[in-house]
Amino acid sequence: MAAPPLLEVRGLSKRFATRTGREPSPWVIQDLSFAVREGEFLTIIGPSGSGKTTLLNMLAQIDTASGGEVRFQAETAPISDPTRLSPGLSCRIGYVTQEDNLLPWRTTLQNVLFPLVVQRRLNDQTRARTEMLIRAVGLAGFESHYPHELSGGMRKRASLIRTLVYDPPVILMDEPFGALDAQTRTQLQEDLLRLWSLGRKTIVFVTHDIAEAIALGDRTLVLSKPPARIAGEHTNPIARPRDVSGIMTHPQFAALYRAIRVEVQ
Amino acid sequence: MTSHEAAVDVPEPARSRWRPHVVVAGRIGLAVLLLIAWKVGADAAGPLYAADPVKVFERIVGDTLSGSLLRHIYVTLRLSAIGFAIGCFCGVALPFVLRRLPRLTRAVEPYIMASVGVPKYALVPLFILWFGIDDAPKLWLVGLLVFYPVFIAVFAGIRNVDRRLIAMARVVGASEAAISREVVWNSLLPFFFAALKIALPRAVSAAIIGEFLVGNEGLGYMIEHSRQSFDTTGVFTGVVVATALVLVINAVLERIDRRLNAWRPVERDMQV
Repeated sequence: MAAPPLLEVRGLSKRFATRTGREPSPWVIQDLSFAVREGEFLTIIGPSGSGKTTLLNMLAQIDTASGGEVRFQAETAPISDPTRLSPGLSCRIGYVTQEDNLLPWRTTLQNVLFPLVVQRRLNDQTRARTEMLIRAVGLAGFESHYPHELSGGMRKRASLIRTLVYDPPVILMDEPFGALDAQTRTQLQEDLLRLWSLGRKTIVFVTHDIAEAIALGDRTLVLSKPPARIAGEHTNPIARPRDVSGIMTHPQFAALYRAIRVEVQ
Repeated sequence: MTSHEAAVDVPEPARSRWRPHVVVAGRIGLAVLLLIAWKVGADAAGPLYAADPVKVFERIVGDTLSGSLLRHIYVTLRLSAIGFAIGCFCGVALPFVLRRLPRLTRAVEPYIMASVGVPKYALVPLFILWFGIDDAPKLWLVGLLVFYPVFIAVFAGIRNVDRRLIAMARVVGASEAAISREVVWNSLLPFFFAALKIALPRAVSAAIIGEFLVGNEGLGYMIEHSRQSFDTTGVFTGVVVATALVLVINAVLERIDRRLNAWRPVERDMQV
């Protein structure tokens, strides 16, 4: 029997509030349902403007839904009531946003430690883990630099491990490598897969890049144009560990790419 | 004058090396010119209308040695500091409270903004009527004059905080108190310091004006008392000391600002 899903989305819908006197705004997301298994790396792909960020904001509980529900470990999140919204569901859902959102007045180390400090979980063990992560993504030696003194790729790495340090069971990622050059991006994808293989977190990774979705995911969902629905679902047959930079030459890549390409409109 | 000639005489490549010295020389030259202008003007106006700088200097030295000047400075500074602390605390605390109460904010905002327009100095007679002739009316004046610039800047600063940083902090489990302290407070520090640059000199000015009207100590009292006894040198001495006080306070503030905002990528301080 299959394990129950860790995270489940049922009939999720979203439309933004309108100014009075205007006609109702269109649905960004309508009747969206999917589930994520524990330890799964799910990639979601969709054309720009298809409500990918809106979806993740709702999963992270920083934005309300207009309809439907989000269940985490079979527990329904209070997502429709703006006053009861619980961002991050008590640190169980981590969120790596599109922008790095580092605190500009804090050093790299302080930024990475920030979740542990506010959660009062800073001790020798978590500190050692943080140091390990800093070394693993090549930020050693930059601990006392401020964000504006780091390159774009380093800032991404810092924002990535800021979420990894407190080890949430689910991590949402919103095109985290979108604004980077191809070289740095491949490097970061490899880093991410290596870190993931160590901890096997549940990851929901949103991107508009088909090759990235294939290189990283166990399964790929394709979103339609708004109102976003599931246009297709693909289980990824490519075995792990994967060679991210050479993924396009993998014999199973081309067929999967074409199948997804057709659905991304 | 000398500065200009020096700049012209120095050959092109060496210019950058000499420029800092040229600026310093220019400043000193300007100070000497101002002192000369003051002296000439004072002589022309006569001792009843203007005091000459030498006499003012002598008076400062004399009153410092006798201890009376230090006492006046202490009284004024104490008044400014307490009034400033009260006004500044309220000016910072109120926006933080309002941040949590958006509906109340919308209700009271027009009233607060309208109250900015009330001329605070015109309220002093009322303060004396209500709060007596001790420190209280003066503290009200100083407090109010400090409150408004701080309140307006912090209020605007809070609205300017990057909402994405707040969302990030919430997701990683920061409490509202931690968000106020870490994200909001640090984001609005530049606004706060801009306000302090207005509020601190204002606090001293307001204390001096309060002392014109009430009390028998402080720089304001000293200036007003000197005027009443036709001691123009005393008036000038008070003004010079008050100016020096504000300059020293600004310099200290500047240093604190530099330290706290050391992380900033660009030198955004305007030289005042």
